[in-house]
Amino acid sequence: MTFYSNMLPVFIVTVVAGALYIASIFQRFKRPVIYGVGIGAVAGLVGPMIFMAPLDSCTFETGREPIDYWFGIVLFVLGAALLLGAARWVARFWLSGRAIASLVEDQTTMGVYKASPLIPVLLLLPTIIILTFFLYYPLIDTFRLSTLLVKLGAPRTVFRCVTNFTDFFEPGGFDYTALALVLGLVIAFLAYQPLKEAGGSELRAVFIYVSAIVIAFMLLNRIIEPDYREVLFNTFFIASAIVILGLIFGLAIAYLAYQPVRGAFIYRTLLIWPYAISPAIAGIIFFVMFDPVSGVINHIIELLGGEGLDWIRDPWMARAAIIITSVWKTLGYNILFYIAGLQTVPGDLLEAAEIDGANAWQRFRNIIVPALSPITFFLIVTNLTYAFFNIFGTIDFLTKGGPAGATSVSIYEIVELGIRHKDLGRAAAQSIVLFLMVIGVTVFQFRTSGRRVTYGA
Amino acid sequence: MKKLVFLFLIVLMVIPAGISLAQDKTEVRVWIAFSDYRLDWTKERAAEFNELYPDYEVIIEGFESYNIAFTETALAAEQGNPPAVTHFFEAATQEALDAVGPNGEPLFKSVAEAIGDRTEINGVPVVLDDVVSAAADYYTANGEFYSMPWNTSSTIMFSNMNILEAAGVEAIPETWGELEAACEKIMALEDGPDNCMTWPNHSWWLEQTLAQQGADLSNNGNGREGRSTEVFMNSPEAIAYAQWWKDMNDKGYYIYTGVVRDWGGTQNAFESQQVAFLQFSSSDATLIPANVQDVFPAVVSRMPYNEAAGYHGNIIGGATLWLNNGLNEETETGALMFLNWFSNPKNAAEWHQLTGYIPITNTAYNNLVEAGWFEEVPGAAVANMQLDLIPTTGALIGNFVAIRDTFTDAMEEILINGMDVEAALNEANEKANELLEEYNLLYAPE
Repeated sequence: MTFYSNMLPVFIVTVVAGALYIASIFQRFKRPVIYGVGIGAVAGLVGPMIFMAPLDSCTFETGREPIDYWFGIVLFVLGAALLLGAARWVARFWLSGRAIASLVEDQTTMGVYKASPLIPVLLLLPTIIILTFFLYYPLIDTFRLSTLLVKLGAPRTVFRCVTNFTDFFEPGGFDYTALALVLGLVIAFLAYQPLKEAGGSELRAVFIYVSAIVIAFMLLNRIIEPDYREVLFNTFFIASAIVILGLIFGLAIAYLAYQPVRGAFIYRTLLIWPYAISPAIAGIIFFVMFDPVSGVINHIIELLGGEGLDWIRDPWMARAAIIITSVWKTLGYNILFYIAGLQTVPGDLLEAAEIDGANAWQRFRNIIVPALSPITFFLIVTNLTYAFFNIFGTIDFLTKGGPAGATSVSIYEIVELGIRHKDLGRAAAQSIVLFLMVIGVTVFQFRTSGRRVTYGA
Repeated sequence: MKKLVFLFLIVLMVIPAGISLAQDKTEVRVWIAFSDYRLDWTKERAAEFNELYPDYEVIIEGFESYNIAFTETALAAEQGNPPAVTHFFEAATQEALDAVGPNGEPLFKSVAEAIGDRTEINGVPVVLDDVVSAAADYYTANGEFYSMPWNTSSTIMFSNMNILEAAGVEAIPETWGELEAACEKIMALEDGPDNCMTWPNHSWWLEQTLAQQGADLSNNGNGREGRSTEVFMNSPEAIAYAQWWKDMNDKGYYIYTGVVRDWGGTQNAFESQQVAFLQFSSSDATLIPANVQDVFPAVVSRMPYNEAAGYHGNIIGGATLWLNNGLNEETETGALMFLNWFSNPKNAAEWHQLTGYIPITNTAYNNLVEAGWFEEVPGAAVANMQLDLIPTTGALIGNFVAIRDTFTDAMEEILINGMDVEAALNEANEKANELLEEYNLLYAPE
């Protein structure tokens, strides 16, 4: 790893901060602070190399753009933070003298192999080999590719440092609104926990979360390059619409189909049908139907005396078309799980509620919906995965990301860049961003709604 | 029971022997970027070839797009097992010329060079010299005829004669001005279509119009005298075209289907009589009139041009068959035999009659003339005729697939978001030149 002189101040900051941080933990456990200082300083020194060594400190090179420099600082600090986090974890476990098992904080008992500790490893080996070749190796290679200008079939590659990532940013310059937004964001996050502990209503917590998201969104709006901003917006807008509408309609239809009516079996089977159709075929079917010039939907609207709509020609109508197609496509899956879930709703509870005078809506709202929460939680995760990744086929055959980029979501951009344009470097950088976003959303999911899931009656 | 097991074991032993017998034939793997009836036709021809030349086994494999066939070829070459022939499209000619395999050698080999001065290969007459000049010129780079032309087309226009007649349009429009005048009459019809014309938002139209107006798309003579290092996507001719397109759109004459490279939607619009004119690829010159023959007469004509700039010729589109480098001698011979047999006069004529792609050799064309085919289906001759008017060659540009997309994106900004034509093309030009610069960083000899 090359060392540039302008890295020195940052190193000093991470080393001192690391030393102070770990020392404070040692102090809390009343152990010799000097050890804490030593461990923290080493972690602060080595941590930044997690990112800087593979990049060969290129962001600190003279001649790089300022944005590259600042991006490098963020990576630098992030590396230090990662190692310090790990050091903190180990230190707390070591200092508190607890067993390793207690770190894995849950009550479930772990299974134990009595024969030999090698057996579980052997049993896992086939899986690990497959994962290594088909998951971990491509994952690591994606990180390598994301630093290059690289095309399949080209005689050489060019190292681009972090340009593939910093291309996503286009700072609008410093201004006080941005600063206010950052402060608002920090305050919102800091206020969340105390408010909740002080007995603040759930609603208030939700309000704070939502405002934090809005503020973060507005802030990102200021620094992200306009084209990529639209991609991000499309990704989140289309994904949330698919999940929310898909679950609402899925539950509503499942609830209707669950009623004891004649031939329910046939209705249920027919309702699940769209699930068996591939996203690409769904795209083709709806392309023919939504065609603004010669499509059947506009033809019917005109027959009924209305004015044909600008399906897929208008940016918002195109987004709507993608959402309608995807909701239709996932509906069968959601209905399937909700019908299964409805069968597990305890009948005695419903009966008791009915005797107590709860009307149909109250029974639905207060008994059925909570009883279905594990299913809903599972469906949110699977629907999000669909909306983030599997939606490619639908978009490719319905709108090709248009008009004017209105339906270009992250996965569509990645395939366009990587396969059509063979621009593997940029595609790799975008897939890393998508990867981080999906991880972020999933963690957020587990931390918010995951807590409210009840598995017992 | 034991006997059965024994028999089964014997069968098991015989099967590999049979396979190894089959392997005595020379395998020639041909990767085709079609997945529809065109792939079926190719497979039928391969079966015929295999029967005629039993020493060779041509194996056709279909792919869903040119890009995927190419990517798969590059990956297969990296693993040391490339196919003998890959089907690749005209816009990526520069990329195919520049592509290298894992050993740093070019991925493809010039077909002309591989054939040398042979006039027949194992009894198969060489047809490369007979290829029509528009295709031969396009695929000749650095003085070398590189790949074997196959599906070759040009842009043409279909007219709904019922609507034209009702509107009193006497002659099929040949220029932008005539087209606009015809549209004015058609739009004035009381029970006429909502819009007058459509065509896909595809960069091929920009390339065609630049050729028609006599302008280059890139420097060094469209990349023909040396490597293209600069793209002119905002040239006055390009702006004139985009501006005319926008004007037609704003007047409601042109209807945009809302999707880039939309062949299906534009074809549906014409066939369902929502528009009177459709500019399209000649690949469907026989198919579309046949589809609508019971409803209205559809007549094929040349792509209209800008009368203010004069007419300087149209270019081809389509794809060629590339010979992979580093094949063993037997496989290469088999591949060359197949390539020449595949475009022999009989096959070339049949391919044209089936699809509408131009007859690729002069002999095939003359045979069709003699057989009276063009009198029977006059529209089929338009593309050949258009390409013969004034010979031109299109641009050779690296990273052209991505560069083309900057134009279609700009056109969407203009048509959908009402962006200013010049601003949109300037922005596209900037992106296009960045893409070309990146390409040349990776591919151009140092």
